[in-house]
Amino acid sequence: MSTPEVGVPRKGGFNFDLCRRNEMLFSKGIKPPSFLKTGTTIVGLVFKDGVVLGADTRATEGPIVADKNCEKIHYMAPNIYCCGAGTAADTEAVTDMISSQLQMHRYATGRESRVVTSLTLLKSHLFSYQGHVSAALVLGGVDVTGPHLHTIYPHGSTDTLPYATMGSGSLAAMAVFESKYKEGLTREEGIELVAEAICSGIFNDLGSGSNVDVCVITKGKTEYLRSHQLPNPRTYVSSKGYTFSKGLTEVLSTKITPLKQKQADTVPEGGDFMEE
Amino acid sequence: MGSRWSPYDNNGGTCVAIAGANYCVVAADTRMSTGYSILTREYSKTCKLADKCVLASSGFQADVRALQKNLSAKHLFYQHQHNKQMSCPAMGQLLSNTLYYKRFFPYYAFNVLGGLDNEGKGCVFTYDAVGSYERVGYSTQGSGSSLIMPVLDNQLKSPSPLLLPAKDAITPLSESEAVDLVKDVFASATERDIYTGDKVEIVIINDVGIRREYIDLRKD
Amino acid sequence: MEDMNLNAPHSMGTTIIGVTYAGGVILGADSRTSTGMYVANRASDKITQLDDNIYLCRSGSAADTQIISDYVRYFLHQHTIQQGQPATVKVASNLIRLLSYQNKSMLQAGMIVGGWDKHEGGQIYSIPLGGTILKQPFAIGGSGSSYLYGFFDQAWKEEMTKEEAESLVVKAVSLAIARDGASGGVVRTVTINADGVTRKFYPGDSLPLWHDEVVAHNSFLDILAGSSSPEPMST
Repeated sequence: MSTPEVGVPRKGGFNFDLCRRNEMLFSKGIKPPSFLKTGTTIVGLVFKDGVVLGADTRATEGPIVADKNCEKIHYMAPNIYCCGAGTAADTEAVTDMISSQLQMHRYATGRESRVVTSLTLLKSHLFSYQGHVSAALVLGGVDVTGPHLHTIYPHGSTDTLPYATMGSGSLAAMAVFESKYKEGLTREEGIELVAEAICSGIFNDLGSGSNVDVCVITKGKTEYLRSHQLPNPRTYVSSKGYTFSKGLTEVLSTKITPLKQKQADTVPEGGDFMEE
Repeated sequence: MGSRWSPYDNNGGTCVAIAGANYCVVAADTRMSTGYSILTREYSKTCKLADKCVLASSGFQADVRALQKNLSAKHLFYQHQHNKQMSCPAMGQLLSNTLYYKRFFPYYAFNVLGGLDNEGKGCVFTYDAVGSYERVGYSTQGSGSSLIMPVLDNQLKSPSPLLLPAKDAITPLSESEAVDLVKDVFASATERDIYTGDKVEIVIINDVGIRREYIDLRKD
Repeated sequence: MEDMNLNAPHSMGTTIIGVTYAGGVILGADSRTSTGMYVANRASDKITQLDDNIYLCRSGSAADTQIISDYVRYFLHQHTIQQGQPATVKVASNLIRLLSYQNKSMLQAGMIVGGWDKHEGGQIYSIPLGGTILKQPFAIGGSGSSYLYGFFDQAWKEEMTKEEAESLVVKAVSLAIARDGASGGVVRTVTINADGVTRKFYPGDSLPLWHDEVVAHNSFLDILAGSSSPEPMST
């Protein structure tokens, strides 16, 4: 993106020198510790009287599946939920922080949180970190002004859409939405379409897998359908179990060294032993 | 700052081979992928090189194909010159030589070769990309190998190389037990390795001939 | 897949236009937002409201231009309350210029402000990358604008009617959409004059392609089916 001007000191904002140092070390071949990436499919759509959010449940660390059944639909407020893709720690932290701010705001005002409030708080946080907080979010909820669905990118840009997808499986899921979404879906049709879009990500994107989580938000009611579908059972289990008998490692030699009793320390009598 | 073009790709996949007293099991999953995409769910990674000799390879499909064609061609010459099929240990040495011939522009292929030796005993040869090889009792190569190898070590425990006199590397399991173990390790590897899945192709070589079995794996 | 650059920051390779006419201004924009090669939003609204009669066309980084317009909208609300009357187009444009100029090292934002006020009527201000400000009778911006300079030199006239100006803007955006890969989707226009604001929307499938002399074929077989027998290649 934009390069800093020579001789123009930065006036405000955060200092990203360490990020630039890390990029330099990385380019010289020093690897940073790996972290969990939720190579993910997350989606959301607006239906007749609310929004449906969906997510797969695979978390990966490189080519290894780190968690086969993780939760990617995060709580923001009783009437607002948020799907997260990107670095697991970032999506978790950012949604927790903002949901806490929303709770405080509800205590202060005594009113239900609005989706735009969460949107603004999330985008201004992400913008101030200039894309270094890798959280790509699908935010959905129903408030006093009706149902809302937004996408938020790591750099802090936002979109307002009737249907949205994010993560490495977003292309597979969007293919389903672009061919089948229409306005005024019923609750059941909405859930079915969301589950189909997530399954498209699960089966066609290697970063996504395992189960389908769904969250349906309507006016005054939120249903979190954890493991709405389980399309990937284990295909084979050996009929005989496994036994791990003791002593399978060859013992080549044995030598026992007894421990020596250490002399107990005695306290000197009457001395000024406490003096320093 | 775009990354430089590379002549290699990694198409993933896992191979396993187990040698028994009078049989050999060679298996590989049938998923072929690149990056986060699946290219096909039914690509056979095994190649029958001779009547009693099967090669399973993962890595870069283009290099694997080139290697398979190269070995098949050399085997055809061998048959014309000697009027017989190559033995599995001979094929093992030939594969090593073929890989080392490209020492400074290697085939990006991770191979296990399984079959029966001249005495009819099961044999497995395992390789690195530049031709270092060893005859073993069992082996695994490819993206899921680090998940499968410790299980095979535990279940098939080859005798310590430090023991004297040296013991045979052949596993004590029966043919059906070995096939069952292969199915189970693939089902397990598929749970945790994103590049393993869809199906396992199991090739069983014994004195009767060659038989193939397939089971489904997770498709996510 | 990896080469599609899906993690690139959200940017609006864009076509944006602002034109003055007799009595007001017309702003126009396409609706494509892309991350690398992926169209992240095919129906975005790049013409953002700043005040009742002032609108902003955004191009460049989506995050940067959204933040700028959020700030300026907030400043203009404050300004309206303090002064007891709406801010002028000149004030709004200069606030954008100030943010663009003072944070030039951190921003990638090219914008066109269009609006109407009772003092100076319809005005267009162009604020390109470094914080330059230019008051112009018309302005074009974004990646698609490079295809339009010649067209505007030929087609733009002073004191056009509203209808003439509107058809000019729609024609220009659709021309840019046809040639510029980073522009696409629909055409959105905003007309601002003494009577207020009118938004219009032209769906992508109703826009001319400008190169329809090329007949579309679904496959090579269609071409073969058209002629009686395929012509052999001759040297």
